[in-house]
Amino acid sequence: MRVPGLGHLFRWRYARPVLQAPLLVLSLVMILHGLFGPSLAPKNLATTLSWLHFRGLLVLVLLCAGNFFCLACPFMLVRQWARRIFQPRFNWPRALRNKWLSVGLFVLILFTYELFDLWSSPWWTAWLIVGYFLSVLVVDGFFKHASFCKFVCPIGQFNFVASTLSPFEVKVREQDVCTRCHTKDCIRGRREPVSDLVTIRGCELALFQPSKVGNMDCTFCLDCVHACPHDNIGILSRLPASELMVDPLRSGVGYFSRRKDIAALAIVFTLGALLNAFGMVSPVYAVERWLGQMLHVSHEAPVLGVIFAFFLIVEPVLLLGVAAYLTRAWVGDANAGTRALLPLAVRYAYGLVPLGFGMWLAHYCFHFLTGLYTLIPVTQNAIASLGRPLLGEPRWTLTGLPANVVQVIEIGFLLLGFAGSLVVTYGLAENDSPDRPLRAFLPWAAVCLVLWCASMWLMFQPMEMRATLMSG
Amino acid sequence: MADSAARPITGAQVTIEADMSHAGMSPRFAEAKEMDLGRYEAHVEFQMAGDWVILLHVTLPDGKKLERQFDVRGVRPN
Repeated sequence: MRVPGLGHLFRWRYARPVLQAPLLVLSLVMILHGLFGPSLAPKNLATTLSWLHFRGLLVLVLLCAGNFFCLACPFMLVRQWARRIFQPRFNWPRALRNKWLSVGLFVLILFTYELFDLWSSPWWTAWLIVGYFLSVLVVDGFFKHASFCKFVCPIGQFNFVASTLSPFEVKVREQDVCTRCHTKDCIRGRREPVSDLVTIRGCELALFQPSKVGNMDCTFCLDCVHACPHDNIGILSRLPASELMVDPLRSGVGYFSRRKDIAALAIVFTLGALLNAFGMVSPVYAVERWLGQMLHVSHEAPVLGVIFAFFLIVEPVLLLGVAAYLTRAWVGDANAGTRALLPLAVRYAYGLVPLGFGMWLAHYCFHFLTGLYTLIPVTQNAIASLGRPLLGEPRWTLTGLPANVVQVIEIGFLLLGFAGSLVVTYGLAENDSPDRPLRAFLPWAAVCLVLWCASMWLMFQPMEMRATLMSG
Repeated sequence: MADSAARPITGAQVTIEADMSHAGMSPRFAEAKEMDLGRYEAHVEFQMAGDWVILLHVTLPDGKKLERQFDVRGVRPN
């Protein structure tokens, strides 16, 4: 916030809408082009921007900075406008105040992505964006605060988990200032002295800055920054992944070690990364054909269901279950030794997040970097189709970086993720079993190694993209 | 190529464009040569396994332009 220019922008009360407006315009262009433009995905702005540029930039910004996409989220701009007309009246149901619904929606998005080949369909991609806008309006139209962001949005959950590895965090500069503060505007909002009307909103995600830890559930909306009367909140640097190694009471979140839902989100985030990449390599077709024959089905949905169940249920139960069992057996102390398997698995599940993020980075950056310049001919083509080729004729030969160069970058991301997971799991082992950290660490290091080897294997498989998985 | 009366079309300019179904993949282009009356041939290399879409960009001798699209599914690796 003290960086000239950027600091001024972020301190400005209208920084968020100014950042959201261009993305809203872009979203509308994507919807229109998706519905009425070319049906071929490589020639359509909806598919090119969604599945190449947005995803690639998203993971790179999360890696290098923080959750700035949520800051510039176009869905929230529309929500703000809608709330001027329609004020929500209800609180989000108590039974749903957790991540289970969003974990389910995250899996559903991954499933529909494979089943309907969203990457190859501009039409479906456009409807996905429309569906997102409608969901935001319905959920936040009925329910107060940022219910959609905190409890529903699958993209937001992805960002929350990935941003635990980001180098920046919204946090207080000096705790003493907060201790002396009586108004707590960062959570309550800044109010008019006489009317008590809120003029600047406090945190809608129930994160009380003085006891907020890390980036989980933080949308970087900057409401707290603007509401703080002491200018004591900023976007500050920190050690990436450090928040995964500790287990303090987090405002608005609780203890990570007691949140099975967030641990499940971390597992889906990690193994979903492998699953999503698996859907685009040659062996998946052999597996699908084999499963189709075994189950005597010709439709893709049940076969995909079995693959998803294996990746997201059987695999984590086996891997984490065995690792937790070995940790308990080998450590045998008063801490981990007497603990049930599930809390141990929940505790160490967060250690897998860097591995998962490494895989998402490798996968998304492959598409982003190898297709980096394709936005130029696709935009040229879109403008030319309006009747006036203002940007010239489409140069379809423009693509991106060579695949062999990008593969080196991919290996780098996977190594970074592996190293990160080893560091985090060792940190967890040191905290959990200070007497025998190595014994507690080894089973989880083995899990990380297995997943890293699987990631490397996947990355070296020949890519194969089909719209019809079960044929051929 | 033939017209509606099944007469071969000669002297057309035919460009073949091969696209994958995923955004970001570079299209492959090839100019077709007329090998016989109304018979055009081109060599296109599919650089990846999977489903491909072929677009034919045709310019007829009278300058009229045509486009045709067909699918080549399940291309296997060598």
